[in-house]
Amino acid sequence: MTAIALAGLVHVYPEGTRALDGVDLEIPAGQRLAIIGQNGSGKTTLVRHLNGLLRPTEGRVLLDGRDIRSLRVAHLARQVGLVFQNPDRQIFAGRVRAEVAFGPRNMGVRGAELDRVVGDALTAVGLAGQADTNPYDLGYSRRKLLALASILAMRTPVVVLDEPTTGQDARGVARVQAIVAALTAEGRTVIAISHDMEFVAEQFPRVVVMRDGRIVDDGPPGAVFAPERVGLLASTGLVPPPAARIGARLGLGATPTEHALLAALRTHRR
Amino acid sequence: MLELHRVSYRYAGYATAVLHDIELTIADGEIVGLVGPNEAGKSTLCLVASGLAPASIGGALSGSLSIDGELMAGRPPHELAERVAIGFQNPDTQLSGVTATVFEEVALGPMNLGLPVAETLARTREALATLGIEDIAERSPNRLSGGQGQLVALASLLAMHPRHVVLDEPTAQLDPEGTRLVGEALRALAATGTALLVTEHKTDLLDGLCQRIIVIDGGRIVLDGPAGDVLADERLPGWGVEPPSRIRLARAMAGRGLDLDLIAGTLR
Amino acid sequence: MSEADVAFLQRLAPPTPSSYHRLNPFTKALAAVAESIAAFVIGGYVGPLAIFGLAVLPAAAMAGVLRRLVRVSVVLTLPIAISVVLISVFTRAGSTVLFTVGPFDATVEGVDFAGQVLVRLITLSTAIGLFGLTTEPRAFVFDLERRGLSPQLAFAATATLEAIPAMLERAKVIQAAQRARGLDTEGRIADRLRGVLPLVGPVVLSSLTEVEERTLALEVRAFGRRGRRHLLWTMPEATWEAPLRWVLLAVLVVIVAARLTGAWPAIP
Repeated sequence: MTAIALAGLVHVYPEGTRALDGVDLEIPAGQRLAIIGQNGSGKTTLVRHLNGLLRPTEGRVLLDGRDIRSLRVAHLARQVGLVFQNPDRQIFAGRVRAEVAFGPRNMGVRGAELDRVVGDALTAVGLAGQADTNPYDLGYSRRKLLALASILAMRTPVVVLDEPTTGQDARGVARVQAIVAALTAEGRTVIAISHDMEFVAEQFPRVVVMRDGRIVDDGPPGAVFAPERVGLLASTGLVPPPAARIGARLGLGATPTEHALLAALRTHRR
Repeated sequence: MLELHRVSYRYAGYATAVLHDIELTIADGEIVGLVGPNEAGKSTLCLVASGLAPASIGGALSGSLSIDGELMAGRPPHELAERVAIGFQNPDTQLSGVTATVFEEVALGPMNLGLPVAETLARTREALATLGIEDIAERSPNRLSGGQGQLVALASLLAMHPRHVVLDEPTAQLDPEGTRLVGEALRALAATGTALLVTEHKTDLLDGLCQRIIVIDGGRIVLDGPAGDVLADERLPGWGVEPPSRIRLARAMAGRGLDLDLIAGTLR
Repeated sequence: MSEADVAFLQRLAPPTPSSYHRLNPFTKALAAVAESIAAFVIGGYVGPLAIFGLAVLPAAAMAGVLRRLVRVSVVLTLPIAISVVLISVFTRAGSTVLFTVGPFDATVEGVDFAGQVLVRLITLSTAIGLFGLTTEPRAFVFDLERRGLSPQLAFAATATLEAIPAMLERAKVIQAAQRARGLDTEGRIADRLRGVLPLVGPVVLSSLTEVEERTLALEVRAFGRRGRRHLLWTMPEATWEAPLRWVLLAVLVVIVAARLTGAWPAIP
C-alpha cells in the first residue's frame, strides 16, 4: 500500500503560469479523497505530479516516504494509476481490448492472467461486450469508461480519477460510484477531482479545496460544506451540494448529503 | 427558427441508423433542453441539427433540416457555420489549432465572417468578459485546464453572434461559477432572439433555463414538453436522467410539511 | 480603434526575437526557395556550399537558431541522405573502382555523385529549415492573405502547415498516456528507442482523425468563407524588403537562364 505526501509543492509552467503555489498534503494509504476547486485552480496539475508526468518546480512528492524525483514515470505507473480528464488524451489503441491490456502488459502481466484482468476491468465499467470495438466508435461517455478501465486493469495501489462523472448519465455515475466503493473495499487509495458536489459529498470522507494553486480547506464533507464555511467555499467559485444548502436554510447545521438532511430533519422534529 | 423534419441519420460505414424520425422545431429566442441516457444519440442529434452531419462528416440523412424556412441540404459547412453555431462535447475538438492565444482563438470566428477589426475586437472582448475569462486572453489555447478550454470554446461561438446555437454538454467540465456564467450567457443570447438546443446531464442547469425539454432514448424522441412537466416526469430516472435537485429533494422530503417553494428558492 | 487597441492586437503577432525573425515571412520564404533552387541548378560543390556557408549559416547564427537548425536538418535529411549515398555510391557505373562490398563496386564517379547530391541536400534542408524555425505558419499564411491569397487557399495552406506541429503535439500527448501506463521511455537510449515503436501507429492513426477534427473546427468557425478577412495584426516589413526580393528573384533568374543556355561557367 502506498502513502502519499506532498511537501511545499510548487509548479510553474514554462510560459510562466504558477499553477501550484506551495501545496502540503498527506494522504494515508487506503484513503478516499476528493479534490475540488474552480477551473484552473491547479487540481489536474497537482495529480499529474503523483505519477511523475509533471515534476515539481519546487518541493517534493513522497510515496511511502521516498522522494520520487529519481523515479521514472514508467516505474511510478505501477503505484499510481491516473485516469485523465479527457479520454481522448489517454486512448490511443485501435481496439478496446488492446487499450486496456497496454498497462498490465507493460507491468509484465501475460497470457491467461492478462485476459482475466482485462476482462474484469471491462466488466467493471460495462464494456465487456465491446472488446473488439474501435475506441473511436464509442460515444464520449463510453470512452471515459474505457479510459477508467485501462487504469483499473493495472491494479495500482493508488487510483486517481480526474473528473470521472462528466458526460455520464445517472447510470454511468452510479457505475463510477460502485467502482470507487470497490477500490476502497480492496484497501486502495482513491483520489478524485470533481465538480460534482453531490458525488463528492456522498462518496468521499475527505474533501480538499483548492484555490489559485493552494489548499484552502481540508476536512470531511460535513465540515467543508458546513454553513459556517460557505463564504470560504464561495471564494473558490463553488457552492455546497443541494442538501447542504437546504439544511443551512432550515438551520439544521451541516447536512452534506440527502441522507444527512433527512436524518437531521428527523432529529429536529423530535 | 431551426426545424428538423422526419430526420433519420446513419453514420458512414454503419448499417443501422442512430436517429429515427426526429421531429423538432426550435423557435427564435427559445432554449430547448436535450436529455437522455448515454449513447441515446444526443451528440448525433447535435451534429445533425447543426448540419455538420452530413455536410462535413458524411453519413446518410433522410428528412430535412431547415433554418428560417430554408432547406440546408447541400450547403457547404462554412455556410452552415454562419447560420448555426455548434459547441462540441470535447472542447479540444473545438480548438482551431491555428492560433497562439486565447484572444485570437475567440476572434477567429468574427474575423472569418469578414468583420472589420474594430468589430472583431469588441465582440471578442465581450465574449471573454461574458464568460469571465479575460485574464487568460493571452494564454496559449493548448495550455488550458479542461474547464478553461470549455469556456474558450464557448466564447469563440458567442463572438460569432449566432442566430442558432447547438451545444453538446457545454458545462460538463465547468465549476459551479462557470456553469452559472454559461447559463446567464445562454439566457442573454436567447433574449436577442437566438434559438438554442442544449444537451446537458445537469438538469439543475436546464431547470429554469429552458422553455422546453426533449428526452431521447434509442435515437427517438420519447418525451417532448414544457420544461417543468418533463423535469417532473416520473419516468425520467428510467431514461438515465437524474431529475433536478429541487425535485429530488422535494420528493425525498415529501410528507414532512416542508415548503416546496422554500426548497426551490434555496436551490435557485 | 484606439492606439492602445492597435498596440494590443499587434502584441498578439508572433514574437520576433532577432532581426532575422523580423524579416517579413514572404522575404524569408523567397530566400529559402531561391537558395534551394540555386543550389540545385548550380550543382557541383562550391556553389551549394557557398550558399550554405555564406547565406544560410550566417542567417541562422543571426537568428540564434544554429543548433536547432543543425538538429532539425539532420533529422530531416538523414534517412534520405543515407539511401542516396548507398544507392549512388554502389550503383553508379564508373571506371575507377575504389572498393568492393559483396557484389557491389564503389566507384569514384559514384562517390562524386553522392557528394554532390549531399551538399545540395544540406543546403536545401537548412534553407527551408531556417524558414520554418523563424516563421510561424500562421504569420506566413496571414501575410500571403494580406498580399491577396484567397481565403480558401489560406485555409488549405494553414491546415497543411499546422498539420506537422499538431502531429508533434499529438505524439507528446500519446507518449504521456503511454508512460502513465508503465511504458518506459526515459533513461537509456535503448529504452527511448523502444518507446518510439508503440508511438508510431497511434500517432499516424490519430493524425488522420486530427486532420478531420481540425478541418471541422475551422469550418464551424466559418473558415474558408468567400470574401476578404480583416486580419488582427500584420507582420513587419521594412521598406527595403520588396527591392531585396526583386534582386533575389533577378539573381535566381539569371542563374537559371545561364545554366539553361550553357553560359554558366563550370565550377567544381
